[in-house]
Amino acid sequence: MKTVPQHPLEKILENRIAIIDGAMGTTIRTYGKTEADIRGERFKDSKKDLLNNGDLFSLTQPEMICDIHRRFLEAGADIIETNTFGATSISQSEFFVDDPREHGGRKDPEFYQKIIEDASLNDLAWEINEQSARQCRELADRVGTATGRQRFVAGSIGPLTVSLSNSPDADDPGFRVVTFDQVKAAYIHQIRALIAGGSDLLIVETIFDSLNAKAALVAIREVFDQDGKELPIMISAAVGRGGETMISAQTVEAFWNAVQHVKPLSIGLNCSLGPDLMYPFLEELAGKADVAISAYPNAGLPNPLSDTGFDLGPADMARFLGDFATGGLINIAGGCCGNTPEHIAAIAKALEGQPPRRFGRIEVTA
Amino acid sequence: MSVAEIVLAPAETKPLRLSGSQPFTQQPGVYIMIGERTNVAGSPKFARLIKEGKYEEAVSIARQQVENGANVLDICMDEGMIDGVAAMTRYLQLLASEPEVAKVPFMVDSSKWEVIEAGLKCLQGKGIVNSISLKEGEERFRKNAAAVLKYGAAVVVMAFDEQGQAATCEDKIRICERAYRILVDEVGFPPEDIIFDPNILTVATGMEEHNNYAVDFINATRWIKANLPHAKVSGGVSNISFSFRGNNKVREAMHSAFLYHAIAAGMDMGIVNAGMLEVYEEIEPELKTMVEDVLLNRRPDATERLVEYGETLKDSGTVATEKKTEEWRNGTVEDRLTHALVKGIDAYIEADTEEARLKLGRPLLVIEGPLMAGMSVVGDLFGAGKMFLPQVVKSARVMKKAVAHLTPFMEAEKEAMAAAGQAVRTQGKIVLATVKGDVHDIGKNIVGVVLACNNYEVIDMGVMVPAEKILERARTEKADIIGLSGLITPSLDEMIHVAREMQRQGFQVPLLIGGATTSRAHTAIKIAPHYSQPIIHIVDASRAVPVTTSLLSEEGKPQFVAQHNAEYESIRKSHSGPRQQTIAIAEARARRTPIEWRAEDIATPEFTGVRVLDNFPLATLREYIDWSPFFHTWELKGIYPRILDDARQGEQARQIFAEGNALLDRIIRENLLTARAVYGFFPANATGDDVELYTDETRTSVLERLHFLRQQANREGSEPCRSLADFIAPKETGLRDYIGGFAVTSGIGLKELVEQFKSQHDDYNAIMAEAIADRLAEAFAECLHQRVRREWGYGRDENLSSEDLIKERYRGIRPAPGYPGSPDHTEKGTLWRLLDAQAKTGMILTESFAMWPGSSVSGFYFAHPEARYFSLGKIGRDQVADYQQRKGMSLPEVERWLSPNLNYESER
Repeated sequence: MKTVPQHPLEKILENRIAIIDGAMGTTIRTYGKTEADIRGERFKDSKKDLLNNGDLFSLTQPEMICDIHRRFLEAGADIIETNTFGATSISQSEFFVDDPREHGGRKDPEFYQKIIEDASLNDLAWEINEQSARQCRELADRVGTATGRQRFVAGSIGPLTVSLSNSPDADDPGFRVVTFDQVKAAYIHQIRALIAGGSDLLIVETIFDSLNAKAALVAIREVFDQDGKELPIMISAAVGRGGETMISAQTVEAFWNAVQHVKPLSIGLNCSLGPDLMYPFLEELAGKADVAISAYPNAGLPNPLSDTGFDLGPADMARFLGDFATGGLINIAGGCCGNTPEHIAAIAKALEGQPPRRFGRIEVTA
Repeated sequence: MSVAEIVLAPAETKPLRLSGSQPFTQQPGVYIMIGERTNVAGSPKFARLIKEGKYEEAVSIARQQVENGANVLDICMDEGMIDGVAAMTRYLQLLASEPEVAKVPFMVDSSKWEVIEAGLKCLQGKGIVNSISLKEGEERFRKNAAAVLKYGAAVVVMAFDEQGQAATCEDKIRICERAYRILVDEVGFPPEDIIFDPNILTVATGMEEHNNYAVDFINATRWIKANLPHAKVSGGVSNISFSFRGNNKVREAMHSAFLYHAIAAGMDMGIVNAGMLEVYEEIEPELKTMVEDVLLNRRPDATERLVEYGETLKDSGTVATEKKTEEWRNGTVEDRLTHALVKGIDAYIEADTEEARLKLGRPLLVIEGPLMAGMSVVGDLFGAGKMFLPQVVKSARVMKKAVAHLTPFMEAEKEAMAAAGQAVRTQGKIVLATVKGDVHDIGKNIVGVVLACNNYEVIDMGVMVPAEKILERARTEKADIIGLSGLITPSLDEMIHVAREMQRQGFQVPLLIGGATTSRAHTAIKIAPHYSQPIIHIVDASRAVPVTTSLLSEEGKPQFVAQHNAEYESIRKSHSGPRQQTIAIAEARARRTPIEWRAEDIATPEFTGVRVLDNFPLATLREYIDWSPFFHTWELKGIYPRILDDARQGEQARQIFAEGNALLDRIIRENLLTARAVYGFFPANATGDDVELYTDETRTSVLERLHFLRQQANREGSEPCRSLADFIAPKETGLRDYIGGFAVTSGIGLKELVEQFKSQHDDYNAIMAEAIADRLAEAFAECLHQRVRREWGYGRDENLSSEDLIKERYRGIRPAPGYPGSPDHTEKGTLWRLLDAQAKTGMILTESFAMWPGSSVSGFYFAHPEARYFSLGKIGRDQVADYQQRKGMSLPEVERWLSPNLNYESER
């Protein structure tokens, strides 16, 4: 068996709770950018609305995106995520390809085969991933040097807009719009670009559908094997109130069993639930998994009644994540939707000096 | 290898951990049950279903095995006539959509690597690959093992190498150890995920060299468990007894005895038909001894003795009972149909119906015979309060499926009979419809289901059906009864219209009236006089069948109708007595709600104008649900949560609550419904009983004018005569007041969802979906009101529990046009204009001012601390005349909209 030298981040995780950044999407919204801003010159003739395609901002409004990365770093994030949550040919196709359903057609593997072979979508996906990773790299290094504390770039791999576990066709539960190999191919392309841009680690996150995540993990393995490079992997699922992945309805322990073989740097939960509702599932995961545990919940539940669109403010988040730490549950902490740099700063401050969860592979001597 | 060399297993062995949607962890010392009926080699039935493309039925085999306690399902498609990759993929994708099955881990079983890989690409959890081996050399073995690891599965390794299958203990050990070292040291495979299959080979073949096969397996198992840390052992158990094919008694005993010894040696799991297992303790002693003699190779003549003994047992051989839950399947087809109907089980209904049809010869005889008999049991139990509505609806679902199966045969028969010139007549036919202008239909659907349960042919025409359509259909279908439903007050008028038309067109059939705003009194007084045949109000679904039965019974009808007419006559008489006391409108206005107008009681909203909330998170709305009305929909009376513990209805309440929540989970997870709202605030002041809404804060230009009514009847003592207009600061106070308006819906997508259920003959879930959507709409109204109170400023410091919200313990009200405080539905038209509701939300108003889609709520917001709900009650001619002037409507029109509130008989 190979012994991989210890990654500097692993060392940090043994000594303190590392901080991961907050949400890109909801923070972008605070800049009040418009459809025209995201289009810029380059996408000005795009047929569909692009404003919800936040990854594109890394190309059209790099100053804003870099500003956000910088603010998260200055708020105390050890790890910042690339702005590439939807930067695959498959997810980008939602914004750039005619929806066949509008003309009586359907999305099916034939449709997605064209998508994953589409040179312009692939080029765009590559560019977003590589550019965003480079931007993060530069800022992480700059702030790292200035503060004398190493910062890390996590290449963000999102859940996609399609599901490998569910059929959209009520009459045929066996139907899938896309195949495992197609999903894997889209992810492989993204992963290579994230690595090319200088990511320190890869994070498969906001996992609604465990089978999509497995395709991403298989893709990572294949890239590592073929390219002879190995990065730490973080894995983070999005579970609902029952503690099950939102689309494929898998419980957290079942999920851990399914991804454990990857030997990830960390496993955890993000998005979907607010921190209070997340607690029991995090506890369950922490009780089962022998790797670092990450938690970056939403700032409460989506609540259009509040100003940020989410329930909780920085002080609330700091308190809840403080509870996670007191409970000995976490090694990596941050925020997802609704968490601004102010939230992250409050979390970082609250967790300063708090001991991390103890973990380690239980070795059985035979 | 001798027993002396065997050392004990390390104390701490890592368990095998697997998962489907649920985790599965091997318990130390507990044998893992692997379901093998989903293996084409193990089950001829499964093989046939797959070959015939009957995947749905094949899925039910998987479900059955999980129900029978299988921990893991072995799935194998290795058969010459089956495209393994396609079949494995399709089957696993179907299983993924079966929550009860998807919870267990799957074993992907094939000798072809491409089939295994196709299977792995369908597993969200951690499954098992069955199997890989060194048969094709180390390189191939290493490559496949690495791939299995990449997908995250455990693996079965056959004791097979380049030289072939290991038969002796030494060969088994040698090959397994070699495989283990490659897997653990070179591939990095987790040792606890390695499952060796050291080959269970057939004994008692008559060949002397086969006699020790069982012992070899058992000893190899013991060695593996002691020397290859964490590794597991499995095997295909039925191989051991192949020599005794056809003699199940001996085979079952052999399997049990073999497992008994192999498990003692450390075997962790095995593939065996659980139906082919005798309980070890219950094997008869003589047989047990002989079987063990064979298995443990204890004497040279063991085989002959067992063969000889086995011959004497052959005829008594029985396949052990495979099913624990399905004893009722052994009854006659009639018994099975009754059982299925009473229990609401639809798994076998089509097969059983078909069997009954073949047995009885004619489809109608199946309906009139066993199906009716079953449903009458359901009807009796329901009537006796021993079954509850949700169960009845489930029974109806089964009935519908049975009838759907028979329908084509009946059509064919009907054609044949018609061709032969014979008249065709069914039992009793009822046309049901929600009247024109109204969209509500849960109650009607429930009545339809209950009637269908009782073998009425129900023709449900849906919602918003004009009178002419209803009557035309009733005529062409030769309906025996017509039933009308409606929820909003304007529907009452439409029902009168239908009754008049029936009279005019010379109909002779009874008319049933039902729905939330209908009443016995209204039916007797307002509708019945317009039609000479019986018109009967149905108070709830449980009353429908007794009424229709009486109406369609030749002997019973005259007496029933006479009694009914007498009752309605007495209602009319008592009603025609003295009217309520009303006071003059001028006097009523002088007695308006006493409010001292002060600036500090007026709140100023954050914005004026209109805002839209689209795709509002259903998960948030869930928190605001008031569940009590949900139970009322299902005719379970009580208050949530107490009803869950109710002695009589509690069990049923808990069940529909769980099922309602399960559907709600699904609705949320799959985004099946969309919630949308529009709301706004407007500068407003009252002028008399009207409220003026202004275009802007200059309050010079009137945007719209709202018209309210004032209480006039039975005002005793100094009790005020309220009007909603009282809660808005009068213009003359000079105070800058505001009024709000809103419209919310959670019904976008509901129609599709309901239709989907209906197309599956699943009325139960169709009704459940409507009930849930209604709850979400009410919850949305409550949730939005909370937001509005914050945006209006005065609600920012509220800290209310959901019970507080349900009990409306907060400042301000949100009355809806058409409800007791302001019964004129036409004011909703003004609200729609104000909010531009149709353009902004897609919600439309029907000609009766019902909101479409259903599951919508609208109303006005009043913020004054003194604002409260009240019921208008009866109003006098003077106010109606005044109101008609203010609204600019004709008197008959106003009287029509306000008819339930008139304290006098209109001229019409």
